Amino acid sequence: MNLNDEDLIRRVVEDGDQRAYAQLVRRYQSQLRFSLRQLCDGDQGLADDMAQEAFIKAYKALPAFRGDARFSTWLYRIAYNLVMSHKRKNAPEVDQEAVDRAQSDQSVEEAQQLGMARDLNSAMGELSDAQRQAVHLCMQRGFSHEEAASIMKLPLGTVKSHVNRARAKLQTLLQAWREEVVSG
Amino acid sequence: MAKHLHGNSYSAQQARTGNKPDKVAGMVVKDGVISPSGSNDPDFDTWLSQQLQFNEPHLDDDGFCERVMADLPPAPAKRSERRATRYQYAAVVAASAIVCWQFPLDEVLAQAAQQSISLYSLVGVAVLSSLVAMTGGIFAARR
Repeated sequence: MNLNDEDLIRRVVEDGDQRAYAQLVRRYQSQLRFSLRQLCDGDQGLADDMAQEAFIKAYKALPAFRGDARFSTWLYRIAYNLVMSHKRKNAPEVDQEAVDRAQSDQSVEEAQQLGMARDLNSAMGELSDAQRQAVHLCMQRGFSHEEAASIMKLPLGTVKSHVNRARAKLQTLLQAWREEVVSG
Repeated sequence: MAKHLHGNSYSAQQARTGNKPDKVAGMVVKDGVISPSGSNDPDFDTWLSQQLQFNEPHLDDDGFCERVMADLPPAPAKRSERRATRYQYAAVVAASAIVCWQFPLDEVLAQAAQQSISLYSLVGVAVLSSLVAMTGGIFAARR
């Protein structure tokens, strides 16, 4: 049975139903781990550790979750805080081996992808970190500007600017693909 | 075949500096937000969202969920806590009612009236009973 997030959270908080929480973990693990891999510069091990910690932290704090925001927004906020805090603490220590390994894995995958995906990745690579995160949250994850601002802990106007600037860059970089789609 | 980005009208170097798009599109300030003019193309937004989502791989669980669940602390649920507390209260009340029902209150009072037992003994029994009841209550609550 596919219950919505609110029902699952109610079961976890009121009945202590850990299977309901497992359902939430399964629902969001792929998206969150993928997002954190981008945020952790491709370090998949670190991203998975952060995602695991975020889910555990969210579970502990679940009784205090008031439902003002969506569960996914709340979860992303916890995860982003964890990653940013980790980055601040461990700034000089980068697991270069893990990054290289991830990048080599990525290269193999990229080689198998179609041109569109490669160009899209390449275009996303041209954006600043903040622009990339803002586009990822708003256009890939479907968060509103307000939700993205809350997750990134940035003013709403700054997030809108990042999205708009990123959109303009991507529009220019991907113009050829767009024209091909429009012309059929 | 992939379209080569560098073959477009502006290069990767220009993209990195971020100058060209501003010069090309110009900037508009609306509601205190700086945005490139002519960039609000809903079709492009939809297309871009679709492409981003389509190209995102689904990451297999691969034991991730099990690792998370194994590390979760055992949290007692609020509802089961309340239910357990209600059962404990009910048990204490029932036990007290049985004790009161079985207790030979008339005899004790009669004997007390006849002073066949000392007042000190009566007080001692009462204190002892209270202590036993309190210990039982605390033990039940801890269980």
